[in-house]
Amino acid sequence: MSFDYITSILGPMLEGAQMTVLLFIIAIIASIPLGFLLTLAVKSDIKPLSLLAEGYIYVMRGTPLLLQLLFICFGLPMIPGIGEYLVLDRFVAACLGFVLNYAAYFAEIFRGGLLAIDKGQYEASKVLGLNKWQTTTRIILPQMFRVALPAVANESVTLVKDTALLYAVAVPELLHFAQTAVNRDFTIVPFFVAGLIYLMMTLVLTLFFKGIERKFKFE
Amino acid sequence: MAIIEVSNLKKSFGQLDVLKQITFNVNKNDVVAVIGPSGSGKSTMLRSLVHLEEINGGSITVSGEPLVKEGVYSKPQEVKRITSKMGMVFQHFNLFPHLTVKENLELPPRLVKKESPEDIQKRSSELLGKIGLADRASAYPANLSGGQKQRVAIARALMMNPEILLFDEPTSALDPELTGEVLEVMKALAEEQMTMIVVTHEMGFAREVANKVMFMDNGEIIESGHPSELFTNPKNERTKAFLTRSLK
Repeated sequence: MSFDYITSILGPMLEGAQMTVLLFIIAIIASIPLGFLLTLAVKSDIKPLSLLAEGYIYVMRGTPLLLQLLFICFGLPMIPGIGEYLVLDRFVAACLGFVLNYAAYFAEIFRGGLLAIDKGQYEASKVLGLNKWQTTTRIILPQMFRVALPAVANESVTLVKDTALLYAVAVPELLHFAQTAVNRDFTIVPFFVAGLIYLMMTLVLTLFFKGIERKFKFE
Repeated sequence: MAIIEVSNLKKSFGQLDVLKQITFNVNKNDVVAVIGPSGSGKSTMLRSLVHLEEINGGSITVSGEPLVKEGVYSKPQEVKRITSKMGMVFQHFNLFPHLTVKENLELPPRLVKKESPEDIQKRSSELLGKIGLADRASAYPANLSGGQKQRVAIARALMMNPEILLFDEPTSALDPELTGEVLEVMKALAEEQMTMIVVTHEMGFAREVANKVMFMDNGEIIESGHPSELFTNPKNERTKAFLTRSLK
């Protein structure tokens, strides 16, 4: 297998990888804060709000991401009456699906982080005179994020790989170009190239999170 | 003059009466040791004073101001102001693990007190010197020994300039060889006339440092008095039995 062949397919595949990276960035930037808000909603004293958030998390985690993507891309436009206003650009629809789905996972991760915090932290804050807001923002959340960090890193790696689901809604991304090249040239080399590109992306991500974990080791 | 007055304090968890009509006074500069078997209500009593437990009846007055009067709490702001006269040291230290020793000391007064940062810093270095940890100011709690953690926790409580310091079994979570350094700091505070209530299993400390000992059992104060009296000549059978067990 010639080096020339690999360079010839690398161009379009890296172009596809750009789409992958773009989706990843949009999904992570939007779903982490949204997930955090969901955690707050679940923990809220307002019962309907917490029930709604719990229901949302249940549905989003309990059904396949692929189903959700297909529903947003192809299902929404079929709803009688309003469907015609819900025809979204495929990529936009995919972003929406990823953000809504991953927010539910991040919400559970952050909730787990909160559970890990000893009640003594709340008691010490109270006795020292900190109010609820100060306790939450200065004492609890920094610890929650620290506890949640390994799980967030893990989820982010999963997100990189899940971007391959774009293939199913016909958005041209890395895997799409690999598959096209495999069919056209009758060789499996493009699959290996795609695998290497995914590995490189997850490697960068893993190193990035390792760095953050080291920085916030509190030792 | 009584700085803390507690009368008929009642507290129950569901059906279980943890505190039954507790009444006692603490005078300014007193060092009160609270002793008794596990589950006797010592910690709950202490926690009630700083409103970590909500009581079901009775009154608590701190320097003449009512925290609770006959089971009715003062307004939340008042409760906050009155409890801020007391500092608390916990069995498990409860230091903030994401902050350095210095930050543990300085963050609460910075958030709560209207003081200049210079004053706060000055006090934190003084206190760190006093507890012998000036060189660990930038360490995180994870890198301290249990004894060091508890000394930092005491300094953190002192940063708020409390009138009264409460200790909830401050040495119970420590290895035996580390209790000494914590008791030394507490002893030094007692010598400086700090008003202290100490829930403890350290009979030696109660005997040497306290000027008043309260023996609690089953949610009641069974007996209280000067340690020389209570330890050598206990009046109540339950006190006798407890002391025989603990001093063995």
